[in-house]
Amino acid sequence: MNRQPRAIAALSLLIASPAFGGDRFELTGLIDLRAVYADATPSYLNGGFGRTRFDGNHDGLQLGRLMAAGRWRLTDTLTANLVAETFGDGDRNAVGVSQAYLDWRPFPTQPVRFRARLGAFYPPVSLENRQLGWTSPYTLSTSAVNTWIGEEFRVIGTELEARWLGAAQGYQGDVAAVGGVYGWNDGAGLVIADRGWALTDRPSLLFSGLGRPRASLYYELDHRPGWYGGVSWRHGENLEVRALHYDNRADPGAHNVDGDYGWETRFSGIGVRYEPCERVTLLAQHLQGKTYVGPDAAGPMQFEMRLEAWYGLVSYESGPHRLSLRYDHFMTRQDRGFFDEYANDDAGHALTAAWFERLGGRWELVAEWLRVRSRFARRADVGLAPAVTDTQVQLALRYRFHLEGGGASN
Amino acid sequence: MTTNGMSARRRHRSAAAIRTLLSGLALAAACAAQAGEVRVSVLGRDGAPVAGVAVILEAPAGAEHHSARHGARMDQQNRHFVPELLVIQTGTSVEFPNSDSVSHQVYSFSKPRPFQLPLYKGVLHPPVAFGQPGLVVLGCNIHDEMVGYIMVTDSPYHGTTDETGSVHLTAVPAGLYKVTVWGPRINDGGGTLGTTLSLPADAAQTLTMRLQLPLRRNPSPRPGRADWDAY
Repeated sequence: MNRQPRAIAALSLLIASPAFGGDRFELTGLIDLRAVYADATPSYLNGGFGRTRFDGNHDGLQLGRLMAAGRWRLTDTLTANLVAETFGDGDRNAVGVSQAYLDWRPFPTQPVRFRARLGAFYPPVSLENRQLGWTSPYTLSTSAVNTWIGEEFRVIGTELEARWLGAAQGYQGDVAAVGGVYGWNDGAGLVIADRGWALTDRPSLLFSGLGRPRASLYYELDHRPGWYGGVSWRHGENLEVRALHYDNRADPGAHNVDGDYGWETRFSGIGVRYEPCERVTLLAQHLQGKTYVGPDAAGPMQFEMRLEAWYGLVSYESGPHRLSLRYDHFMTRQDRGFFDEYANDDAGHALTAAWFERLGGRWELVAEWLRVRSRFARRADVGLAPAVTDTQVQLALRYRFHLEGGGASN
Repeated sequence: MTTNGMSARRRHRSAAAIRTLLSGLALAAACAAQAGEVRVSVLGRDGAPVAGVAVILEAPAGAEHHSARHGARMDQQNRHFVPELLVIQTGTSVEFPNSDSVSHQVYSFSKPRPFQLPLYKGVLHPPVAFGQPGLVVLGCNIHDEMVGYIMVTDSPYHGTTDETGSVHLTAVPAGLYKVTVWGPRINDGGGTLGTTLSLPADAAQTLTMRLQLPLRRNPSPRPGRADWDAY
């Protein structure tokens, strides 16, 4: 079951390949400490139904994240990437790996550029998570859409992208088609069905759990690979549109002795980034899908849930300051199934305001206020009203460091 | 005898040197008498100067070109090629330093000069020589939004417009020239504007080109985004 040490060993072997010019190895680290005030019901990460990462029992000083992201250049066009991190909560592994993949980018010899990835990485859905280690430059807590992507989705497989490069033909932009094939994602859907949507910056780690005592969110039951396919269009630097369809093709009738079930989950996502001027960024993403579990195909003993969420974000940047505001809207609805009617249905919205201040060099200060209002009937099981407002205020102090070496200049 | 012989040889050499010098000066004076100056200004639709645009004066075919090949430099700063556009004479070698904190992987598949510079930072790769005229489009294999241009021309009479939208070319021999103006952000004529210019001997001429269509947007480098991941 110790796949991470094996993966690290495999990567270590790969980096022992012959030297190339320049620095072959780069390590970027992030230390993120938080002061938290939360007026929130118990977080999902602590066994509750709350939608924020920190709850009323976890005020005060907290660890936001410790992250180390390594990048090794194996050849002129092949790099190995590894992101290891810890969040200081009760996860199964104290430190885990969130991404580990090989990235191959052959030099284009024509206006079409190919890129292939192999390993474990995030599917290309989020327009928010643009910084190293899949963190966001806009807010601390990502939108409901991308929190879910971080929690339940990791491509453990391969992806191929073909991008038509317009610059050579006088068009300032490009168009890409991307497709992926993967396994070990038969569990995707469990978290959203069990809890509803959340807004956190706590993605799952590979072959690890997320709050609840589950061995792993990543398992393969039916040996049917999942797939996704998408397109992206970029116009200059200021407009990007993406669409993606994802289907893990899990068998909803599959299960094992550990109590892992196959959750057949499909979704379609569309997103737009527009920067009308240099200081302003507008982001919007919409995602809708379904998840099914249970062997009774299309019958009453199969659970079928509809999912939908979207957000709109506006961010203003001026020198070292950045202010972002985001509105999230989300819902889940059991269309068919074995839970009490409406018990797991979720409906809500959230407001997020974040202020980033780069303190020069390696330090950054972030303040974020997040308020989530949601209605979720199962809260009655733990003596709470179905409709709840969770508020979380965080002040983050972040320090980044960068090391590189292993290079021999030629 | 020996001394006299030496002096005679010295005198002879000195005379030869003076003759060479004089003929050289005469030639230079003749050239200077013929050489003119050309100032080309490019203005936008709103009359504002347009900087960073290539201006090339091409003499009729068969005209001899002197060749003043200096090394040129195309930097990478804040995930932008700096300058965005470089005009060089055929045969010039260009350095591609990377001043960013992140690595870049520079390439071109343009016909005049396809090349690849594997992932690097700082100054690592030797300069690249451009031996064929034409437009070379540069890209970064990691950051697709990075696009740069090198315009390679046989003509020594070229430049890129400065902040006042002007190029000032000196020591241009009299003659009839084809003037080409090209910029990646110009919409008029697909980016290329052309005209002819007749330059009399010892004259200074000014040419103003005014664009009819608005320029494409030119986002400036943002230092705060230099370390954002390519996603």
